[in-house]
Amino acid sequence: MAIAETELGGAADANSLPAPVGAQQLPPRDLQRTFQLLLATVWLLDAVLQLQPFMFTRGSNGLSGMLNGMASGNPGWIAHTITWNGSIVYHQPILTNAAFASIQFLIAFGIVWRRTTTAALGLSAVWALGVWWFGEGAGGIFLGTATPFGGGPGGVLFYAVLAVLLWPSEGSDQPFVAARTVGVRVAKGIWAAVWGILAVLALVGSGRSPQALHDLVAKVDNGQPGWLAHIDRSSASLFLHHGTTAAILLALVCVIVASGVFLSPQPAQVTIVLAIVVFAAIWVAVQDFGGILAGGATDPNSGLPILLFALAYWPQAERRPSRSNPRSVPMPTTVEV
Amino acid sequence: MGTPTWLYYLFGTLMFAVAGYCLVLLVLSVTARRPAGRDVDISHTLMGVAMAGMFVPAWAFGPNAVWELAFGMLLVWFVVRTVQSIQRFGPHVPHALVHAVMSFAMILMYWFPRGLTSGSGSMSMSGTPGGVHLDAGLGLLLALVFLGSAIFTLASPDKGASHHGTHLPAYAMSGATSAGSESTSGGGSDGVTGHVEALVAIPWLEDLSHVVMCIGMAFMLILMI
Repeated sequence: MAIAETELGGAADANSLPAPVGAQQLPPRDLQRTFQLLLATVWLLDAVLQLQPFMFTRGSNGLSGMLNGMASGNPGWIAHTITWNGSIVYHQPILTNAAFASIQFLIAFGIVWRRTTTAALGLSAVWALGVWWFGEGAGGIFLGTATPFGGGPGGVLFYAVLAVLLWPSEGSDQPFVAARTVGVRVAKGIWAAVWGILAVLALVGSGRSPQALHDLVAKVDNGQPGWLAHIDRSSASLFLHHGTTAAILLALVCVIVASGVFLSPQPAQVTIVLAIVVFAAIWVAVQDFGGILAGGATDPNSGLPILLFALAYWPQAERRPSRSNPRSVPMPTTVEV
Repeated sequence: MGTPTWLYYLFGTLMFAVAGYCLVLLVLSVTARRPAGRDVDISHTLMGVAMAGMFVPAWAFGPNAVWELAFGMLLVWFVVRTVQSIQRFGPHVPHALVHAVMSFAMILMYWFPRGLTSGSGSMSMSGTPGGVHLDAGLGLLLALVFLGSAIFTLASPDKGASHHGTHLPAYAMSGATSAGSESTSGGGSDGVTGHVEALVAIPWLEDLSHVVMCIGMAFMLILMI
């Protein structure tokens, strides 16, 4: 047990070992930084998903086929831009996909390195908008299929919103992390706008059609592990029989959540928990984790980024300590890796 | 347009590089009689070689049972180290925990080689459909843990913590250069060993090897889904 003894301070004089570094010198947790790193983790996941073998291939199962599939149904001028991009990818699948993956690695690692965090978040926002347009067909907004159940108005849009909200700045995490850079009023406006849009999208177009909602689940059902396919069957059946009711309920939830940010901290927490529970359930039971488990996805869809977005608005009761008195708050749990 | 074998060779090479680097660290720590981080060096060396064999079948060797046994022992070791660390320092996430999870993932990769076939006693990438396979949900969860570990390791101000934890201030905080002349375990290193150690046992490089290993394992798990 020599190694254990070393970490434990040696068998002879365990009590003389200095206090753990984590408890001795760890600065107070910077929540904005933590959220930036969580966003970087999601980008890293996207980068790794981009490296899946089929992404380097041509044809309907490759990236170009996936992109071209987003064009169908969209207005002509939008479809043209998407197919134009798809044709470039078709002719150079390895080069373009390697470049796409590299950019996502760049964003992830760029966010981590403090000197490039700002630039990486900027690139994150720009790249997310590009992916939303070319890779998600503008989220299906122009098709009337952008229901939040299916990820509408586009999961990657939340990356862009998060990049703005998490733009590096000094200041307090009160009343919530999302307000630290843009200010409380703007942050609340963004929150209300996002949830208001989600409420509308839940009700317009095919978002409230039982058959469309049923098909939404059915089309991602293939290739899922047994336990998830079982959940899918339940949610598909629910949508088929109560699709409209589910859409109205989701819209109602979104309206309640939208108003939550204007309430006092405790009711606000309740609405955020409601948002987290509902969208976690949607992410699992409807979006199937973005289809990752079936082995053909490029991102985790909107469920995961919405959860991050919601958590960024969690009311912070404790004031962030000043640099001159970093010990004025209870020390956070040590995290070594 | 076929499967990008160059990508597998790239990852295989990276895995071998990590294994080689950690082997050098291991030799240096033995020479200097400094056991700190030796368990991580051993595990990364084994994982690097095993992962390289998964990415590039031609580089695989040894029966799976031996690899499973090795990673099983590492899993037990790191679980014990995790418990010891929590007992000693209170509630926290010890660096040994992520290495325990990595060892667990390696065992799963050998147990459920979906998309990989057993050939010549080792895994290869050619794949056969059907059969018992790793639950995709568990695979995704592990991949997320490793990617998160990669990001938070890179961002950590405690360089070298992925190998040594944050409970060894002399080594983890000031780096191997100072540790070369002031061993944390009473051992010593001087002359050529100390010089080489100062060159290669750099905390950020140790973290980088952990990051590369995490990304390689996450990618393999995604491939297995």
